[in-house]
Amino acid sequence: MRVLVVDPDPARAALVAEGLAGVEPLEVRHAPTFDEREAARFGPDVIVVASDSPDRDTIESLREATAANPRPVVMFVDRSEPGLAEQAVLAGVSAYVVDGLSAARVRSVLEVAMSRFQLMNGLRQDLEKAKADLASRKTVERAKALLMKERGLDEDAAYKLLRKLSMDTGRPLGAVAADLLAFAGVLKGGGQ
Amino acid sequence: MTRLRLGFIALNDAASMIVAQTKGFFAAEGLDVELVREVSWATMRDKMSVGALDGAHMLAPAALAITLGASGGEPTPLAAPFALNLNGPAITLSSRLAGALGAGTSAEGLARLIAWRRTEGASPLTLAVVFPFSTHNYLLRDWLARAGVDPDRDVRMTVAPPSRMTELLVGGVVEGFSVTEPWDSAAEAAGAGMIAARGAQLWPRTPDKVFTVTEAWAEANPQALQALLRALLQAAAWTDADENRDELAALLAAPEHVGADAEVIGRSLSGMIFHEGGANRPEPVHAAWLAAQMMRWGHIPADVDIPALARRVYRPDLFATAAASLDLAEAPALESLKGYSTAGEFRLADARRHAQQGPLSRIVGG
Repeated sequence: MRVLVVDPDPARAALVAEGLAGVEPLEVRHAPTFDEREAARFGPDVIVVASDSPDRDTIESLREATAANPRPVVMFVDRSEPGLAEQAVLAGVSAYVVDGLSAARVRSVLEVAMSRFQLMNGLRQDLEKAKADLASRKTVERAKALLMKERGLDEDAAYKLLRKLSMDTGRPLGAVAADLLAFAGVLKGGGQ
Repeated sequence: MTRLRLGFIALNDAASMIVAQTKGFFAAEGLDVELVREVSWATMRDKMSVGALDGAHMLAPAALAITLGASGGEPTPLAAPFALNLNGPAITLSSRLAGALGAGTSAEGLARLIAWRRTEGASPLTLAVVFPFSTHNYLLRDWLARAGVDPDRDVRMTVAPPSRMTELLVGGVVEGFSVTEPWDSAAEAAGAGMIAARGAQLWPRTPDKVFTVTEAWAEANPQALQALLRALLQAAAWTDADENRDELAALLAAPEHVGADAEVIGRSLSGMIFHEGGANRPEPVHAAWLAAQMMRWGHIPADVDIPALARRVYRPDLFATAAASLDLAEAPALESLKGYSTAGEFRLADARRHAQQGPLSRIVGG
């Protein structure tokens, strides 16, 4: 298991390492601040971040930007924030939050977070795929037709253009096609 | 006394909240406020969602995104009954990059440099903002796009904490950024960067931070909310007064507030507006402009009803009640933004049409 602990205080990394003793192979790396390049090289299975780390925004934006390769993030909340952890978990807020960590609980917390992340990620992908399969074929066909008409492209070129837009913006083909149709509607005076 | 917990981030534009606390404006309205300094917008969002904070210093686009649920988690409808400031953000480039661009660090010069780097096969420049849903992200994107640079394709956009921007410039991790003062002036003072553009040069009287509560809290606590708004209004007037600027700079410089050099803060406050000209009235047209930028870059779905969203989150009605109870003259509502776009003027109803200037419009706009 490869764990990256982002926390100004090295104590938490030591605690995580202690709690994971016996897990093979194991590498716990502590970083006082988050460095994207180093993190990418390390390739952690899970990132542990203190809730009072200013790097939370960076780590969160990274998870969104690299939807193809997401990592579970476990966030530790200080004891001085009573209730936040439980409430945040109930509300399904962005990260997995744990209050008052002890070495004995580290392993189960990380394992639960990782398996729940994989489960949620799997569900999300299945759902997205099912939704996309249903909706996007029609949408993509219509967007293609629009491009063929507006730009005088053949079908193949229209499809390639859509795919390039999808890659440039990092968004699914169906979403790009849907936006294209919506914007075309606005341009034709269909919007406000 | 009503007990309240309010969150803020270490930036100049939290000034009115800090002043309301330290100069006794909250207490005078019968409020016992605990000001909590947060270090990330994600944590601020989460704490607002779960009710761990009653109110928060907030990026205006984040307030819109959180209401829609676009920023992760379940949608949490927020109300913004108070605008904390105008003219906070700036765009700063590393001294290295500014040197390479020569005189007048213009976006056009940067566009030429980026084009040249591409032909040379160099890696794209990395630019940082403070949060995906921030005025800074949209300001920087607009600045780049006006010069023909596609922010999603021609540069690499990343997120970093404001207080660390100088260090990231020096380390070559980023080559430029957009944040709210004092962190642009701080990078200049350290010799690491150069301010290439102030927000106001692109978007006159740039909207920036708002004070937010959840819609549910606003409905459940109308009296506490009015007391908060009265305290903030009086604090904002104090904050904006020229004769208080030295004291303000010293107050913000304290480590528990912004924690930067008082002289740098003093300089960086010069263009910022905290009160005058009706600056505290949350203008739905500002929210609509920002939402149009969010749609333009595909950060919110293309079918969002922008005027409805703007009117739901920005609440000049709640603000007007507080202003009237202080016998302040009612500022006329802002109907349009002048000088914001190449079209010259922006109105609430133009939002969708503006959103079309995104990457997709290059394909279908013709």
